Amino acid sequence: MNRIFVTGMGVISAIGNSVAENHHALQESICGVRKELDLFPSKYAGVLPFGQVQISTELLQKKFHITEPGVTRTTMLAVHAFNEAITAARLSAVDLHSCDTALVGASTVGGMCLTDELFNDANKKTNGSVYTSSYDCASVCLYLQKRYHMNGIINTINTACSSSANAIMFGAMLLKNGFAKRAIVGGTDSLAKFTINGFNALHILSPDICTPFDEGRKGLNLGEGAAFLILEKEEDINGKNVYAELSGYCNTNDSYHPSSLSEQGDGPFLSMQGALQAANLLPDQIDFINAHGTGTENNDAVESRAMIRLFGKPPAFASTKGNIGHTLGAAGAIEAVYSIFNLMHQEVYPNLHFINPIASIGLSPVKLFKKMNVKHVMSNSFGFGGNCSSLVFSKV
Amino acid sequence: MTAMLYIHQTHCIQPQQNPLQANIELINEPVDNKLLAFEPSYEQIPPGILRRMSKAIRMGVGAALPLISQPVPVNGIIIGTANAGMDDCVKFLNQIVQYEEGQLTPGSFVQSTGNVIAGQLGLISKNKGYNITHMHLGLAFENALIDAIMQLNTNPSNSYLVGGVDDLSLFNYNIEKLSGDYKEEAISNKDLYNVDSPGCIAGEGAAMFIVNTIKEYAVAKIMAIHTLHSTDVEFVKQQLKIFLQNNVQEGTEIDLFLSGENGDNRTTAYYTACETLLNYNATIVRYKHMIGDYATASAIGLWYACKILQTQQIPAQMIKHNLTKTVHRNILMYNNFEGLQHSFILVSAI
Amino acid sequence: METAELKLQLKKQIIEFLNLLSVKPDDIKDDEPLFGEGLGLDSIDSIELIVLLGREYGIEIKDPKEGRKILTDINTMVAYIEQHRTR
Repeated sequence: MNRIFVTGMGVISAIGNSVAENHHALQESICGVRKELDLFPSKYAGVLPFGQVQISTELLQKKFHITEPGVTRTTMLAVHAFNEAITAARLSAVDLHSCDTALVGASTVGGMCLTDELFNDANKKTNGSVYTSSYDCASVCLYLQKRYHMNGIINTINTACSSSANAIMFGAMLLKNGFAKRAIVGGTDSLAKFTINGFNALHILSPDICTPFDEGRKGLNLGEGAAFLILEKEEDINGKNVYAELSGYCNTNDSYHPSSLSEQGDGPFLSMQGALQAANLLPDQIDFINAHGTGTENNDAVESRAMIRLFGKPPAFASTKGNIGHTLGAAGAIEAVYSIFNLMHQEVYPNLHFINPIASIGLSPVKLFKKMNVKHVMSNSFGFGGNCSSLVFSKV
Repeated sequence: MTAMLYIHQTHCIQPQQNPLQANIELINEPVDNKLLAFEPSYEQIPPGILRRMSKAIRMGVGAALPLISQPVPVNGIIIGTANAGMDDCVKFLNQIVQYEEGQLTPGSFVQSTGNVIAGQLGLISKNKGYNITHMHLGLAFENALIDAIMQLNTNPSNSYLVGGVDDLSLFNYNIEKLSGDYKEEAISNKDLYNVDSPGCIAGEGAAMFIVNTIKEYAVAKIMAIHTLHSTDVEFVKQQLKIFLQNNVQEGTEIDLFLSGENGDNRTTAYYTACETLLNYNATIVRYKHMIGDYATASAIGLWYACKILQTQQIPAQMIKHNLTKTVHRNILMYNNFEGLQHSFILVSAI
Repeated sequence: METAELKLQLKKQIIEFLNLLSVKPDDIKDDEPLFGEGLGLDSIDSIELIVLLGREYGIEIKDPKEGRKILTDINTMVAYIEQHRTR
């Protein structure tokens, strides 16, 4: 059996700059989403709520001695989480240089957080900013590769809001297929004028703090952050600290609409079902679901229906979007870390701001912090383009 | 050595109307150092969907649909692309600026996401299986291939669509020009390899493949693939040496080197170094003068490898070096993107 | 502006705005549903049309659900424009 273990993790989000800070904030039901945005000038700053990471770009740059020109906030958030993860897993410089160490990142925004610079460069309004090689989402992993002198397989995945769930899955596949001995997997995205205006044009940004799974939900809040996990095979653990087992995963497509999910949620249903099968588990063995739960009309209703379809009576579930907002390409990895908290600490965190269940469905997420037995957790990520992915983490 | 996957059907859209043109005088030439794709009429794409598609999406979907409209559906869609929805991305950006973040139309935002090609293919072909988009710039297509190999290893009875696509929109041309990717002076593609200057000529295209584990009726097989990031010519050469030692069996040899040489004098040294590891009589073939260069150009390279293995014919004007070989069974592809991202792919006849 | 003239202008604007390849103004019947059947537009198009009404006629529609009623067909759109246009 090729079991895949998580041997390190790092996370940065609106509720904390480290694993410990994020864990504490979840326990305390802290909401990091506020009507505050000072990263760039925008009409929506102070108007709409955002989950902004509480550390400035300048400070990030200083903290990690980033002296090269053209490194974006998206990349710096990734460096922050990457650094914490490799430290936790005690990866040495030799480990990082090894041809057997893969890096699989994910991002949807990439360097496009520099919306105004991109506008000028793309329309040839300048002689070229320092960012001309930084706009695409690969720029994040290319920087990490260079910074840490990595020689293994390097990849960048973009399946919109499910991107980093797929990065985790791809990393696990590399281990199982002998393309790598360890994989550093995760995702990053920073707030950008581009995504704010995009989601706003689709009328799915909530004017208030989001209320996932609530009857009166008005849409999602955008957030930012990054998370990385270290994956290693059971046979290579050698007494290392193991956080959890990645026991199952599945990627499907809803094949319905470019930006919304089908009524009955075929994609979400199939990804959850496939992940269960891959983990060799029965539906009633899942103790908790970290739901995608964005707070949009469409997602929460469809995800609920798909959970009912698969589980009958779904297990305890909650969305952490009310804590940190929707972090897009980082969401799958950040929520993987949160799912692992459920297993490590045998507890579940409440779905913030929930009051009334969706009338036509009647499901209520976890409302209060509680200690409980958690052996298997499922984490869902669904995105534009019909991309659906589910991961299962198990207690070791 | 066992094959990692078998390639069955192939299709491409690229700047040459006749991709196998043997006469150099008859190949399409670049305009302003740009080789633009010769696009079909896309009759298989429903007009209601086609109207929203930028060129990258059109080419990707248009090259894939003839392959996946087969009676036996594929089990998943695996796409490699560096830019995908870049064109729509900048269109939306321009709207943000023009209307000062006011009421904007969401169409181009939805089409701007990187996974739009795989997503549209899933939608049009009603494929609910595995669906993924690799966007690691010059290795986006190679990572897609590695993904397909792993999917097939796990699910040997499945088949997958795998492909690479990128377009040359005005916006990405501007950005890439500013970062020094393209030649300053206008040149003809007929002189591409004789000009000693930095930069390449810009290109675009899409190449799609149906892959599975079935040997019968396959056109080619992938025996090995390796990717790396380095700016050190010696290191790249050494990695190729190890790759060849590990993957070329005793008694067989590389018959043909399919070179990704692109006329950029900053990367010539890598190709020259790799060529020194070949037998003196290995045939050397180049294709970037036909399609220009872009991040997923190696997908078209693989299309050429398949055609050569299938037909055992090489358009004369694509040959850089040929002595006596008439039969080509083992092809080594080497591609270098911007002097940093390298890939070796070993493709063999069935 | 005469109603007939406004209808033609609106059809031309819809075709341009939604990039409806190969559709001509005459192809769009005044009482034919714009969504689902007929032209086969979808939810993203409905948001685009709301933006069109804003940019061309100065009409602001806050609730997309209300918008859907206005966007039933050319007749309903033109009736709404005639009553509410600010430019």
